[in-house]
Amino acid sequence: MGLDDVKEWLYGCTHCGTCKDVLGLFIPSCPAGERFNLESYFPSGKIFIARAVSEGRLSLDDDDIRDRIYACTGCLSCQQQCGAYHHEHIFEIVQALRTEAVTRGFLHPAYMLIYYGLRKDDNVFGKPKAERGDWAKDSAVKYAAQEKVDVLYHAGCMLSFDPELWEVPKSAIDIMKAAGVDVGIMGREETCCGGRAYEIGYTGEFTKYAQHCLETFNTLGVNKVVTSCSDGYSTFKTLYPKLDIEPKFEVLHIVEYLDQLIKGGRIKFTREVPLKVTYHDPCHLGRHVSPGVYEPPRDILKSIPGIELIEMERIRENAWCCGAGSGVKQAVPEFALWTANERLKEAKATGATALVTSCPWCERNFKDAVKEYGIEIEVYDIAEITRKAI
Amino acid sequence: MLEAAVRSSMVKKLGKIVGSESVSTNQADLYIYSQDMTPAEPSWPDMVVLPKSAGEVQAIVRLANKERIPVTPQVAGENIGGLTIPLKGGILLDLKRMDRIIEVNETDMYAVVEPGVTFGHIKAYLEKHHPDLIYTYAFSPHSTSILANALVQGLDNLSFRYGAASGWVGGLEVILPTGELVKIGSCAVSKGWQALVPLPELAGLFLGWQGTTGIVTKMAVSLWPRPKHLVGLNFQSMDWDGTYELLWTLSRTRIPDDVIALSYPYVQMSKLAKAEHKKVSLYPAQTTKPGEPEMVITVEISGNTKNELNTKVEVVEETVKEQLKDFELIGPQISPSKTASYPEQALGILSSGGGLTWVGCYGPMSNWLETAKKGCALQDKYELSRSCYTRIMKEGHFVGLRWMLPFDKGDPEMVKRIRALCSEQLDMVLEMGYIPYKTPFWAIRTLEERAGPDWVKLHRRVKKMLDPNNILNPGRWGAPQE
Repeated sequence: MGLDDVKEWLYGCTHCGTCKDVLGLFIPSCPAGERFNLESYFPSGKIFIARAVSEGRLSLDDDDIRDRIYACTGCLSCQQQCGAYHHEHIFEIVQALRTEAVTRGFLHPAYMLIYYGLRKDDNVFGKPKAERGDWAKDSAVKYAAQEKVDVLYHAGCMLSFDPELWEVPKSAIDIMKAAGVDVGIMGREETCCGGRAYEIGYTGEFTKYAQHCLETFNTLGVNKVVTSCSDGYSTFKTLYPKLDIEPKFEVLHIVEYLDQLIKGGRIKFTREVPLKVTYHDPCHLGRHVSPGVYEPPRDILKSIPGIELIEMERIRENAWCCGAGSGVKQAVPEFALWTANERLKEAKATGATALVTSCPWCERNFKDAVKEYGIEIEVYDIAEITRKAI
Repeated sequence: MLEAAVRSSMVKKLGKIVGSESVSTNQADLYIYSQDMTPAEPSWPDMVVLPKSAGEVQAIVRLANKERIPVTPQVAGENIGGLTIPLKGGILLDLKRMDRIIEVNETDMYAVVEPGVTFGHIKAYLEKHHPDLIYTYAFSPHSTSILANALVQGLDNLSFRYGAASGWVGGLEVILPTGELVKIGSCAVSKGWQALVPLPELAGLFLGWQGTTGIVTKMAVSLWPRPKHLVGLNFQSMDWDGTYELLWTLSRTRIPDDVIALSYPYVQMSKLAKAEHKKVSLYPAQTTKPGEPEMVITVEISGNTKNELNTKVEVVEETVKEQLKDFELIGPQISPSKTASYPEQALGILSSGGGLTWVGCYGPMSNWLETAKKGCALQDKYELSRSCYTRIMKEGHFVGLRWMLPFDKGDPEMVKRIRALCSEQLDMVLEMGYIPYKTPFWAIRTLEERAGPDWVKLHRRVKKMLDPNNILNPGRWGAPQE
């Protein structure tokens, strides 16, 4: 999608500033704007950049201008706050700028790593493809490529290649097995969903992975594809429909599935988890999908014995971003950590001792921010917390 | 534009004052800050600087004064007058980082704020920390600076009672163009910021001057007790005469907190923009059909008790019924108060394609009828839907009047149409004794021609006295004759 595809939205913005704060709360909503303060970093600023590039008044040759478009986490908070007629297309405009940059041959070094990682090893980290299923080595789990399963668990790139996060997919599998679910994984045959490629402007790569995943899932004959990765979830739900391939399976995030299993009586909690927690709504599980998945994780937490859930101020559709999305974790790491730390401060202010989320990119970035900034708070995925209670 | 060497040197020096991250010469920033939502011609700054404190502002101004480099202060830039477009380049001083609410005095009912405090911020802060107090709200997005709104004498939802926003300023801290820091009002001689009186009202050297005589780094604004009971009344007036009579009658009761009248086509357009997030346009004109009102009038009333509120509503109803028995009027219909919904997204005027302007003016109630009609007739001439907006100020001592013109900035024909209309409307309002507020620079010259020569001399003398090197927002009020 290039600038020509978003032309009709380029003049909607009056630069009114509504996108800068959460309506009603009037506290910051845009991480890039809040961090850098210059108008070019706010959503309105990026629209103006797109307008100027399309008119030939600014050029994407300029590194500094491109820095502005890479500093967007794609959290869609701006789209939530802005009510003008273009409001659902703000991130599309940013993506169009990124695609335009790629088309003109301007490749961010961090994006090149993502791109070549995908080309060579089907993952965004450039890690060896053969290691993709290593997290499941000690789990007695079926391999969907070898035997038919009812539910396919898609781990995603982050959970597959970050050993510090392997408890997340392992916990997810353990819980599903305990609930009697016939679950399997693709292991080293799993590929990236292509979502990150789409967000950073490599639409060709996205299409390739989308086609591959859809055809694979359809061929496997699974009834459900369940994932712990919110990025992957929103890719399956909102980007894959762009292709003309009918999915023959249902897509669920692990929180949706666990919530169903708990309410259906298939999961029994036998242990207490005495923890004061607050919950972070991942952008890709909330604003990126419609309807946003806000209740299931909360219902899960409230049903776990011993858990006390305290909410932050910016939650649900107004949640502050973790900072990792849309290539920012790779392209602008300092900004990603700063954004995460702002969220950790908010979490700590509730009195909670742990922050729980349901996206590995969020979890990774929060954990990194804890190391960098030193806020004393534990960070968990919801599957890890749930597993403790079984 | 500055010479490259000068710019480069300035960037280094400014970086030492505010930190290099808070100085930008990035073309994207300069482009964005060169314009606003009006059809004013863009004019690029040379650099953008974001100070965090009055001390930093002082240092910047001293440096700029020494180097004779223009400085244009801005917060949100939403003044609908092109007031913060840097006409002569130089430094665009973005004050958004100065966003502290320094003090709220509950007994004396004021807040001391920095320029970056917005309507949204003050609302959230008061609701959380001082729930018995409110500030007023402008008909603008929540990101508007309350300090800037007061400086440009804006009209707000308590203007029926208290007049223009500059009227409830209790004190200022100002950085003069020559770098001195001065306090104005009671705060100059005491710890309190409660009032400008009874000292010589030096605030008049800065209020209404569009940042050309000093940079205000703190302002005390009045707060009011939060009303316990609120209600809205809506009237629909079928003709102009009835509208005028209603506005006059309501003013004489002295009961409302706010009285606004809007052209009916504009009200319908706003509803659509808000409800359906659609793009709306004044062109081609949507005309009023038979049976539809000319104007919709909304009235806000508050009471300390339900009894008081009901009594006030009764008085208004009876008075209107009696005074307007010969006019075609629908209402009042009781509706929830709009006050709680402020500040708004203002979608009705922000959904037409990136542009918004108007000839907004203050003038006498006695000329309102003819002026409003003429303004709408000009809109008819340019085939634009009528979008007259009026707010009664200070219980009818004067009125705010404008014809709101949201437009598509990407449509050159529409931009031409809007500019031509504004030019004609400006000439008309001046003839009718109305004076543009937030006066764009091109209207200042026209006003100066109408003002007495000694007035012109005086205001230029003031500007010269305070800003001998003409660095602050040059080209506007007080600009030397070219």
